Amino acid sequence: MSELERSLLRRLRDRDERAFRELVEAHRDRVYNITFRMLGNRAEAEDVAQEVFIAVFKTIDSPNSGYREESKFSTWLYRVAVNHCKNRIKYLARRHDRDREEIDETTHTTGVNGSIGGPMPSSPHKALESAQMEKLMQEAIANLEDDQRIVVVLRDVEDLSIEEICEITGLPDGTVKSRLHRARLVLRKRLQRHVEDRNE
Amino acid sequence: MSEAEDDIDDEVVAKVSDYLDGLLKGAERDDVANKIENDPAWKQTHADMVENRKFMSGMQKARAPATFTEDVTGTINKRSAGRFFGRRTFGDRVPFTALLVVAIIALAAVGYLMWASQTGSLKVDKQPAPTQPPPKPPVSM
Repeated sequence: MSELERSLLRRLRDRDERAFRELVEAHRDRVYNITFRMLGNRAEAEDVAQEVFIAVFKTIDSPNSGYREESKFSTWLYRVAVNHCKNRIKYLARRHDRDREEIDETTHTTGVNGSIGGPMPSSPHKALESAQMEKLMQEAIANLEDDQRIVVVLRDVEDLSIEEICEITGLPDGTVKSRLHRARLVLRKRLQRHVEDRNE
Repeated sequence: MSEAEDDIDDEVVAKVSDYLDGLLKGAERDDVANKIENDPAWKQTHADMVENRKFMSGMQKARAPATFTEDVTGTINKRSAGRFFGRRTFGDRVPFTALLVVAIIALAAVGYLMWASQTGSLKVDKQPAPTQPPPKPPVSM
């Protein structure tokens, strides 16, 4: 953990609002991206991301928070995010309210609230193709089993190491790898099927 | 696809996954590299997975709404009725027991100083009070 982060956490324990804002600013996009890729719904993702930060800052000085000084703050933050996502998925499943239709609605928007960031392809044809592929991939991720989705989002979308994923999920190395293999296999088959359908 | 083909596919995907994640070492890595180069099924799996991963890591990042920080802060303030933020009082930050111990030590020190002082009110004076000479009887003329 960097000295800057350590000092921010110290100030946070004293309930310094500026420290809280600085930490939210530093991590909000990554946490939001994880919750969005996990839940596939913008409103749910925002709500869960908010709850993640509230939970983190309410429990940071509690001995039962699960946070250890020697581990990275971000790893702990992502663990809280993953657990909140799992709980929300269960809750939504109980309510039969898993609405993932919204996924691609704002794919073309840039620089607005809750937007998808990054440069857009130059030509309209490429932009359309990229948007379709993005939608297809998000649907494929959304249709994975929950435990497979967690590892694939953390590894292939967020680019975290296997070691970090083990720490976040609390799973052994072998389980993470096998879930990752399964998830990639499923994704590969779904995308292959799509390519074949398109070529016919 | 038959179950047997599925199993083979699983094995290939697992190996290629590990290969791409850099988890294979020495002879095992060379073996997989060799298969990817020479076996069409392995070659295809490798190409597909490289393509998928490239796309997934390049997927556009969803950004939190611009008002996100304000929203979270607002929610916390609302739920705590504005009490959550703001520097905690001294009594909040220092445990009560520590305060009690310091207070007892300070009281003991003050007590000792008062007792040890020459003029301290707690000092027990062991010297008998000097006796007053008896009043002289009036001189009669």
